[in-house]
This record gives sequence, C-alpha cells and structure tokens, in this order.
Amino acid sequence: MEAASARMAARDRFGGFAERPTSQLQRFILNACDPQNFEPNLALNLEITDLINQKKGSAPREAAVTIVQYINHRNQNVALLALNLLDICVKNCGYPFHLQISTKEFLNELVRRFPERPPLHSSRVQSRILELIEEWRQTICLTSRHKEDLGFIRDMHRLLSYKGYIFPEVRKEDAAVLNPSDNLRSAEEMEEEEKEAQSAKLQELIRRGGPQDLQEANKLMKVMAGFDTRNKTDWRAKAAEEVGQIQQKARILEEMLQGYKAGDQLKEGDVFQEIANALQSAQPKIQKMCEEDSEDHQAVAKLLEINDSIHRTIERYKLFKKGDIEAANAIPKGTLGTSGAGVTQGANNTLNLIDFGDPEPAPAAAQSSAESTAQQAQGGNALEDDLLGLSLGGSSYGQSGSISLGGSNGSVLGLSGVSAPQSRAQPTSASQSIQDLLNANRPSQVSSPPPPQYSQQRAQQARSTPDPFAALSSPAPRQASPYQFQQSIKPQTTGPGSVDLLGVGSAVPSSNPAAQSNPSATNDDEEWTFASSVPETSKDITVNNTNVHVVFNVSRESDSTLLIKSRVSNNMALPVSGLTLQVAASKGAQLQLEPQSGVSLSPNQQNGITQNIRVNGVQPGSGTSVKMRWKSSYTMGGQTINEMGEIPSLGVL
Amino acid sequence: MGASISKMMNKIFGSKEMRLLMLGLDAAGKTTILYKLKLDQDVTTIPTVGFNVETVTYKNTKFNVWDVGGQDKIRPLWRHYFSGMLGRHDTVPGRVGSRTQGLIFVVDSSDASRIEEARTELARIIQDREMKDALLLVFANKQDLPGAMRPQEVSDKLQLEKIAKDHVWKVEPSCATTGEGIFEGLAWLSNNVKMPTGSK
Repeated sequence: MEAASARMAARDRFGGFAERPTSQLQRFILNACDPQNFEPNLALNLEITDLINQKKGSAPREAAVTIVQYINHRNQNVALLALNLLDICVKNCGYPFHLQISTKEFLNELVRRFPERPPLHSSRVQSRILELIEEWRQTICLTSRHKEDLGFIRDMHRLLSYKGYIFPEVRKEDAAVLNPSDNLRSAEEMEEEEKEAQSAKLQELIRRGGPQDLQEANKLMKVMAGFDTRNKTDWRAKAAEEVGQIQQKARILEEMLQGYKAGDQLKEGDVFQEIANALQSAQPKIQKMCEEDSEDHQAVAKLLEINDSIHRTIERYKLFKKGDIEAANAIPKGTLGTSGAGVTQGANNTLNLIDFGDPEPAPAAAQSSAESTAQQAQGGNALEDDLLGLSLGGSSYGQSGSISLGGSNGSVLGLSGVSAPQSRAQPTSASQSIQDLLNANRPSQVSSPPPPQYSQQRAQQARSTPDPFAALSSPAPRQASPYQFQQSIKPQTTGPGSVDLLGVGSAVPSSNPAAQSNPSATNDDEEWTFASSVPETSKDITVNNTNVHVVFNVSRESDSTLLIKSRVSNNMALPVSGLTLQVAASKGAQLQLEPQSGVSLSPNQQNGITQNIRVNGVQPGSGTSVKMRWKSSYTMGGQTINEMGEIPSLGVL
Repeated sequence: MGASISKMMNKIFGSKEMRLLMLGLDAAGKTTILYKLKLDQDVTTIPTVGFNVETVTYKNTKFNVWDVGGQDKIRPLWRHYFSGMLGRHDTVPGRVGSRTQGLIFVVDSSDASRIEEARTELARIIQDREMKDALLLVFANKQDLPGAMRPQEVSDKLQLEKIAKDHVWKVEPSCATTGEGIFEGLAWLSNNVKMPTGSK
C-alpha cells in the first residue's frame, strides 16, 4: 500500500521534487534543474549528455522521463532549466534521444500544462516549449535518416496549430546542428551509426511491447542479426559514394578554376571558397579512412590518390586567390574529379563512374569516323588535364590528345560507333550499370530490387570489381592518377551482355588470374629477346595466356602511329564464342580499332581472330611509355568469362 | 488509473506478475519449453530468428515469458532485452516486485561439448548491470537423452557458484518434450520472487 501511495505522490509533479533521484543520471538532472542555478549549468548539462551517450540502453528514456517531470514543475525557473537541458540533450544525444522525445507519452507530458485554448500571453515556459517543437519539426523531422520514426512530433505540432497556438520563429542557424552533418564519413562510422539507431529502436519497441511493436521488433531483429539482407546497405559502397561526392566537388572547383581569367577576383565567401572549404574539411577524413582501411591496400592507394588530387586542386585555388596564376598553372591540374575515373551523379542519383565527365561536347568528336571503329577523341579542357601530372613522355599529351566522349560513352553502353558529341548519352543506364558494378561484388546484398540488367551482367562483373572503392579511380600507381582509359567496341561483336568495359576504371589486376600472367617483368624479358632480332620496330607481347592466348604484335607504322596486330588463339578444347577484346590506352594516345575478324574460335584454333589496332599520337621514342589496359570477355563451355589486365609498356620506340 | 487499481488488487490478493527472459544456446530447447508451457503440447520448432513472447498463468502468477533466439548471430542482441524489459518499469518507482525479473537459461545437458560456450554466454548475461536483480533458473534440459549431464554436473560445468554468486539461482532438470521439471522451475521462480536479492 505504501508503494501505491508513493506512486500517487509521484504523480503530483506540481509539487516539489516528489521523487528522490535513484540513479546517477537522475541525480545529475536534479542538480541541473535545481532552482538555485541562476542560469543553466552548461558543464553539467553536457556531462549529462555524455552520461546518456555512454550508458545507452535505457538511459535516454530515463533522462527524457525525468526531464519532462521538471519541465512541468511549478517553479518556472526549474522548468526553464529543464527545457534548456532538454534542448542540449536533443542536440547531443542523437537518434536514441530523438526516439524518446517523439513518443506519444513524452509529447503529451511536454504539453500537459497547456490550456485547451491558447492564453493571450503565453508564459515563457510555454513559448520555449513551442519553440522547441517547431525547431524539431523543421530539423530532425525533415532531415533525420529515421524521420519516419518521429511522426508524433509532427502530429503534436499540427494539433497545437489547430488549437490556435502560434509557434515562434526559429533561428535556422541555431537549429542547424540538428541536421545530419554532410561531413565525409567512412563505411565503419556509418555502419556504427546505423547499428546504434537500430539498437535504440529495438529496445524502444521491446519496451512498448504492443503487438505491432513486437512484430516490428522481430523484423528488426532479423535485419540486425543479418538474416534479412534484403534491405541491407552496402556501407563500403555508400562510403565510396560519399568519396565520390567529394571528388565531384573537386571536379567542379577544377572546372570553375579553368574558367577563371586573369582579371577575375576571388572573393571571400564565394562559391569557390565554399567548395574549397568543403574539400579541405574532407581531407583529414580521407586520411583517416586510409588508416582504417589499412588492410585493403587497393582502397588505400585509391584514397591517397584522391587525396592528392584534392590537395592539388586546393593548392591551385589558393594560388589563384593570391593572383599567382602562373604558379597555379604549374600545378598539375589532374584531379581525379575530372578524369575518366571520376565520379559523377547520374540521372537517378546513383554513382556513375563511367561518365567521362566533360559537360561540354568534345570539339574533337567531329573527327571520329562514322565507321564501325569507335573513335576516341579527346575533349578540350577537362580531359586533357587528366594527363597533366603523369608524364607520359613525348609531346603527345595535352592539346593534341583527343578522346571522343560521346564515342566512349557509347561504347561503354554497347553502342560503339556512336561518336556524337554528347557526353552523357545515357546517364540512366550508365548509372544503372554502375549500380550493377557496385552490387556485383556482393551479390547477396542487393541494395534495391535488382535492375533488369543486373542478372545479365552480374556474371561478368562479379569478377571485375572486388571492391566499391576500386571503382572510384584507376588502380594504376598513384602518380598515374590522371590516367585516362578509353576503349572501343566493335559493333558486330558487341551484345549488351559484353559491354562492361566500364570495368576498366575498376579493374584490379591482382584479382584476375589473367593479369597475373602478365607482369611487367615478363614483358621486359621479351623485350630483350625480341629487341635484338628485330630492333625497335616490331615486337610480340603476350597479353593474355589463359584459356585464350592473346598476342599483340606491335610495330611502328608512321611517325605518330603504332600498329598493333592482335591475334587470338584458343588454348582449350572447347569452342569459344562471343569473344570481344577491348583495349584502353593511356591519355594522349588515341586508339583506332578495326573490326575483329570474328568472334568465335573453334577448339584449339590458332590465331583465329585478328584485329588491327592503331595507337595514334605516339611520337617516336615514346612507345615504351604508352600503357594499355585490356579486357576480354567470351563464352566458353556455357560460362561467360571476363579477363582483364594491363600492358605496362608497348615496348616499341 | 484503472490499471493501477487492478494492480493494487493483485497485490492484495497475492497474484503476481513476472517477466522472464529465456536465453540459451541455439537448439537448447527454449522455444519447445515456451510452447510446452503455453499450450501443453510438444511442438516441433524451427530455429528462432527473433523472439517469441507468451503469457502463462501458473499458481496465481502471470509469467510473461520472452524466448529469444540463441543463434550466435542473435546473441549480441540479447542485451536489448535486459534493458528493454527493465525500462518498462523504470517510471514506476516504489513498486517493489515490479523490477524483479527472472532469467531462464536453458542448457542442452546432452551436449557436453558446448557447455563451455554456454558458460561464457551465461557469464556475460548475468554479470550485466541490468540483470543484477534477476533470479536465475537454469534448465538442465534434454534429461531424457542418454548420457545427459545431471543437474549437479551442469551447475559445476557452468561454474554457477562463481559466475552467479550475486544471484539467487537454481538448476532444474527438465525435459521439454514431456514437460517434466518445467512447472517445477516456474514454481521455484514464483516462490522466490519476493526474496530480497543476495540473501540466499
């Protein structure tokens, strides 16, 4: 019985501090709301938030329940102190606390002392409560990742407005801290955050214990335990996307700087500075990601590469700002953001790694032939910059290079021969392909209902991208960051299933058995052997020797052109069909592919497919520095096989 | 208000309510025990992904039994049930019995190879801050199988004297398929629920 009467007493919250605080948290809150405080004790308030964040579990709820009791306290000062504490908790304790303030119980309790009709002059406590509700509605109810869980706040807001309460204006900048930060976050951080939110939600559902809550709790458990992977987010892909956004920013800045003329002034607080600041703040994060990812050397190399390019862009910006244009131009422009490996947002807001990213129609596209050969021409500004920073030797790089954006894009999509100067011919399908690419390495974690192309391309792409980070940029050595790939596809051989050369940017040679058979050392050996017999004019390079044997015979055709005669043989006793060979050359070199002589090989057929590839724009003496990347796909014994690799040097001067 | 009156009545007439959390390694027989209690039937179960919750009334006590899956992937989520359940009552101070929980830990007595794993998990649960007031009932389940460990052996292997020294605990031999020992276990929980903690 005493117990029940104690409870009755506890109900009278208009009275003094009815309940003796039992836990450390409650004691702290009592002290923070003690009317002897003339002003909010910020240090103590922050200590309380730390305690909540550290204890987790039921702490957010305990705090919310305790604080709201003080908000309804008879003494206005106590109430204001409690409201201040509540505000600080909402801003510092994140989703677990948001979940608590959005419960019906809490909100009802919060407005318990509001009269049915708004009074003529609302008290300070009331207007502060209204202000908080308005603030929440404008921030966390709109921007939180879990805003659907916070619906009761909106409902309460609507109810109060309906009753005639006027909400005070909210200072946007004060409330902005409640919005999720757009700082770059690593995969681990995002995953951690999501886990925490799920934990808080599960606990709240179990606590409520209603049949629907329990049902939802059961579902949530399946997700958390990893049994339900239908909606599982691939955090690494997500982090890659975030890094991609940073690259995008770098790219924009780079482009803006290109448009910069001598007379222009860079002012404080303009768009330039905004982007530069965003980039600068992202840099430490990328460095941290490098450390966290230290076991994945591929990803680290890529992140460092991105970091370097961002750094260069920022440096350039700073010099421009100082007015030192010459020095600025001396810095290699090649930011990854503008390179072929750059990342842009596609139409459906997914990563689009293959958009070669020149928004202007490439002037050089006109020269691409309308024949079946996919011509590669280089656009004017953004692309040529990619080359800078990588000395390819020879004067071929720079203005003379030409890559047709339209053509390349087209061929990526299986529309080779399209050399129209549009740069984003099919953003939707392009980005779709990328999504495939990102998904492909984790087939079990489909982030959305699989796009139609998915199953078709998955088999091939599963081997091409072991890591979403790999897709961010070229796996080439760091100094090769502005490396540009191109490829061509023969129309008659190219079915939609074989068009995934978009893998070039993400090919990780070590993941590919074919690539391992092609280390530079081997090539060096061959170079020595052949160089003596046929000095400097012709050389055979074994590109691939697995199921199929691909040999490039490289010779110099003219002062600026190398001719590669590719011969493909079948090593196996199985027929090969649908064989396509795609190649990309480093920037400055321009590829011209003649049609393949065929797409099929009978068992053990030697040199069954031949093809002439011309590499234009290679000055005498610079042939050894032309790098190429190749990818082949074919069907053998009912299996589609993809292979890819890199040719470190063509070996002919 | 009505609810609080009825709870008061319950107090007067001696009916109790207990919230029990049933944990244990996978395939120990938790779900089978739950439905034996609830339906008095021997049901065939599949591994629980998630949890089941049922209310069982036995001897004036309403048991709210939560059976949470025991697969290793789910085990990290167990802790949410300690505090989630506790959280239900933290707003009602002054009610002595309401905070009391019981933990039922189910052990497959015939599987000596995993008793060490069970010990590790039990130690982790029982030493959690949120479980400090909980009664501990260990079901030495599957007593019908040949070679099943006896209750004394189970309690030795689990080192209950050591890991549960701050708790009131009991090992009850049981067989979920026949129901043997299960109600005895609940009776023990019901009888010990008022006992102040630590005064074993």
